[in-house]
Amino acid sequence: MMHQEMKPVDTKQIKEMLNRKKGKMKRYLSYCAHCSLCAESCFLYMAHDQDPQYMPSYKVIHSLGKLYRKRGKVDRKSLMEMKGIVWRNCVLCGRCYCPIGIHIPSMITFARSILRSQDVYPQLDEASSESWL
Amino acid sequence: MIVAERKPLDEIKEMVKGFKKVLNVGCGGCTSICLSGGQKEVGLLNEELKNALAQGNAPFQIDGFTIERQCNADFYSDLDEIIKPYQAILSMACGAGVQFLADRHPSKPVFPALNTIFVGVDRDLGWFEENCRSCRECVLGETAGICPVTRCAKSLFNGPCGGTSRDGKCEVSKDTPCAWYEIYKRLHEQNRLDNILKVKPAREWRNQTRGTLIQEAFKSRYAK
Repeated sequence: MMHQEMKPVDTKQIKEMLNRKKGKMKRYLSYCAHCSLCAESCFLYMAHDQDPQYMPSYKVIHSLGKLYRKRGKVDRKSLMEMKGIVWRNCVLCGRCYCPIGIHIPSMITFARSILRSQDVYPQLDEASSESWL
Repeated sequence: MIVAERKPLDEIKEMVKGFKKVLNVGCGGCTSICLSGGQKEVGLLNEELKNALAQGNAPFQIDGFTIERQCNADFYSDLDEIIKPYQAILSMACGAGVQFLADRHPSKPVFPALNTIFVGVDRDLGWFEENCRSCRECVLGETAGICPVTRCAKSLFNGPCGGTSRDGKCEVSKDTPCAWYEIYKRLHEQNRLDNILKVKPAREWRNQTRGTLIQEAFKSRYAK
């Protein structure tokens, strides 16, 4: 198996995946009013001194939002950055609350699924900077 | 965390033998973290199975797909579509995940690729240790945070037995510390020895029935 940093990004496959859920996901992204009410429902946000990077809306906008904005044309560096956002900064506990009704966990799950399709996922067997703590 | 280990290849081969199109489903939860059933392990097992089964003229196709958690229906939407053309499913989740997947797709044979072995902790990279038997009667408050059910070979609630050596080891092995000796030492340090002077009644073996938990705040939601 090829190491995840080496494999070329299949942007066509990403675009196909994005298109499959385009209606629902783009609707969710456009409904976000940036009210930041989701922030305090995230225990990681609270545990990290209210660091904005842990706000559920931030995590979605900088992962799935970015994939839609770029229409799937992203490089491996961007995917690796997103990996940190959707895995290290989110445990998918499903407790994030949106007053508008945006289902944030399904968006993070979808972003993870896209990253997995490009072989980007946590390498937990390597003692390196990949520590998730 | 639930810890699992992969079954021997021969056992897995035997289960999927005869199926032409198999989907191996990984789990992004506990079995990923214990390095047994994540996306990487799915890829490795599929390679091994391809080498072992796709020989001669017998067609054999195995693909992989990893979902974030096999024990939660919220993560199944993509898999429900993908699974349709496959004749059989291999699951690299814990026993709970395998059953959840099998219940969701009752028309497909679902096979476990892992043996679920315990609830444990990460001691170091790739090193896991059992610390809980999910016995439903936690006594850790009285035993200074050392579980006699998990760490005593006889799961004694009132220990130690007569098999403890002078240096505090278990009769089962010289390398195994006696759980009750460890409990005694720690309670002594905390000046709480009176905790183990009381005789505890025999446990209720409610483990014999399937467990369900509905938190108090949600009881009205699920009331029949």
